[in-house]
Amino acid sequence: MTEVLWALWNSVLDAAPALVFAAVGATLSERAGVVNVGVEGMMRAGAFVAAVASLVMPTPLGVVVGMGAGAAVAGVHGWLSIRLKSDQVVSGMALNLVMLALGSFLLEAVFSSPSSTPPITQLPRWWGHSPLTWLAFALPFVVHLAVQRTPWGLRLRAVGEKPQAAAVMGVSVSRLRMGAVLLSGALAGLGGAALSTSTLDRFEHHMPSGLGFMAVAAMVFGRWTPLGAAGAAVFFAFGHALRVGLASSAPGLLEVVPQGVLLALPYVLTLLVLALQGQKGGAPAALGKPYDPELR
Amino acid sequence: MRERLRALVPSTASVLLAIAVCFLAVVLTRGLGTALDAFAAMGAGALGDWGRAFDTGDMGAVLRPLGEASNKAALLTLTGLSVAVAFRVGLFNIGAQGQMMVGALAAAVVGAGVSWPAVLHLPAALAAAAVAGAAWASVAAELRLRRGVHEVISTIMLNWVAVSLVENWLVTGPMRAAASGDNSVSGTAQVLDSAVLPRLVGDVSRLNLGIVLSLGAGVATWLFFSKAVRGYEWRCVGLSPEAARAAGIDPRRATREAMLLSGALAGLAGAVLVLGTELKYPSTLAASYGFDGIAMALIGQGHPLGVVASSVLFGALRAGGTRMQLFGVHKSFPELIQGLALLLVAAKLVWSRLALWLLPERSGERP
Repeated sequence: MTEVLWALWNSVLDAAPALVFAAVGATLSERAGVVNVGVEGMMRAGAFVAAVASLVMPTPLGVVVGMGAGAAVAGVHGWLSIRLKSDQVVSGMALNLVMLALGSFLLEAVFSSPSSTPPITQLPRWWGHSPLTWLAFALPFVVHLAVQRTPWGLRLRAVGEKPQAAAVMGVSVSRLRMGAVLLSGALAGLGGAALSTSTLDRFEHHMPSGLGFMAVAAMVFGRWTPLGAAGAAVFFAFGHALRVGLASSAPGLLEVVPQGVLLALPYVLTLLVLALQGQKGGAPAALGKPYDPELR
Repeated sequence: MRERLRALVPSTASVLLAIAVCFLAVVLTRGLGTALDAFAAMGAGALGDWGRAFDTGDMGAVLRPLGEASNKAALLTLTGLSVAVAFRVGLFNIGAQGQMMVGALAAAVVGAGVSWPAVLHLPAALAAAAVAGAAWASVAAELRLRRGVHEVISTIMLNWVAVSLVENWLVTGPMRAAASGDNSVSGTAQVLDSAVLPRLVGDVSRLNLGIVLSLGAGVATWLFFSKAVRGYEWRCVGLSPEAARAAGIDPRRATREAMLLSGALAGLAGAVLVLGTELKYPSTLAASYGFDGIAMALIGQGHPLGVVASSVLFGALRAGGTRMQLFGVHKSFPELIQGLALLLVAAKLVWSRLALWLLPERSGERP
């Protein structure tokens, strides 16, 4: 029994970081009032660029470059939704579509392969796991403190709830939102990089295969708070590990509870939580609304 | 008239710019010669190889690509209309993908499960798909109306619930067709002939009734919004729910009904896919037409005829895209063009300025 639990625990530790980074990142953008459904695309950019960069430089540096790629995609999202006041959902979904196709295009164009990049040196293992796993433990608390206990965090929340009021207090709404969106992209990029440098040793064409959307679900499930989002991400990763673990250790059980049902569970739970909470379920008041200084 | 022309500027400019940028991307990675060849191949795959057809008299060289192009255009039109209809009442239906999958499954089940004459069977399968799609969408509508859950979030969730339940469970589990002899089969049982969308030009091309159906849906939606009272009411709700309520229109009813229609259209897309080309629900649909519908709706500026136009264009490009593989360009290349065009369309503010510059306001024109 302990062996099974240990295997399960290890499996969670391997699967969770990508989700945790992306989900915590998403809360930053959304708490500042900018919807981020482009997490999937930002993760894909991070995964691809980190893997490619790691071909020519040490992998840890490659991961940083991957974060930069996620932030760059987020920069486009920020420019469209903050400067040009475009619909934030449209911008995010458009970036998802672009990144999905761009990843495949570049794989084919640069590596002449439809499936994956050449293998790279994986990140080293510290106590049996990627350093990113341990970072994923610390990060939610750091972000929580930053959001709840620092002046920057207060401004961030103010900008997401009542930007006009924040502006009166001398806060630059656009700049703060842009910063939050860029950070969100960098974290999504880090999540993607975790997939291609820790979980695997290359970028595969399907990455991140919906994890970005699951991160959005985790953020909503965690009521737009960093700790809640991280908790939900670990919970969803546990579900994932359980499924994989069950398939190998207790295949009989999977016939009673089919895989698909387990797969659907995180999303059904998120829907249920939203339905039970009613109204907006903890979403920031100004979420999705472009800042209009003339409004009160 | 001038104002209407101006409305065309953003989409047209975005699509042209996207094509130019993507062409440049191929030039940079593969060289100019290959890029020109690849685009020529895409053109032949989209509109047919007319040169070969005239030289050899083989009409298949034209009809086959045109068939593929119209099949893709049909699917894009239906999902695009689905998203556009929801837009008109101010809802963002990201869930066309899930609604399409549920519709596809319903069409596959009815198509293979009952044995009726074609006049009854085909409409029944189509109707089943529409009802299934509408039912799936109604979950999002009710969550929005009763519990205030934003439809963007709920439809994203519902998409993944649909993928998980349909593809990871039903189609590969309980609804999987029984193996016949030694042949292992994947997906659901084959749809009976009586439920298949008839081919329009025989076996030479996969061109089928689906395109007629979806173009009809496009025109019907356009007439509905421009002529019908209900369509007018929906538009009012989309522009301002408060004003609509003051005018005696029930915004809740409009929201509910529009979401149902939106889901039904996405469900029909699933039916056209299953009854037109797949002929069963395969183990995985591997088609993202639901998400593409978002692009079609926005590039088409939410206008039913605009949706049809952009769907025909991108349907053709995507049919041609498969031929670019020969030149080292991934077959999803047209999707890159499409995504980029959508991204550019999203930059509305830039385009409205460009449009004003190209077609300046005359002094007598009302704003």
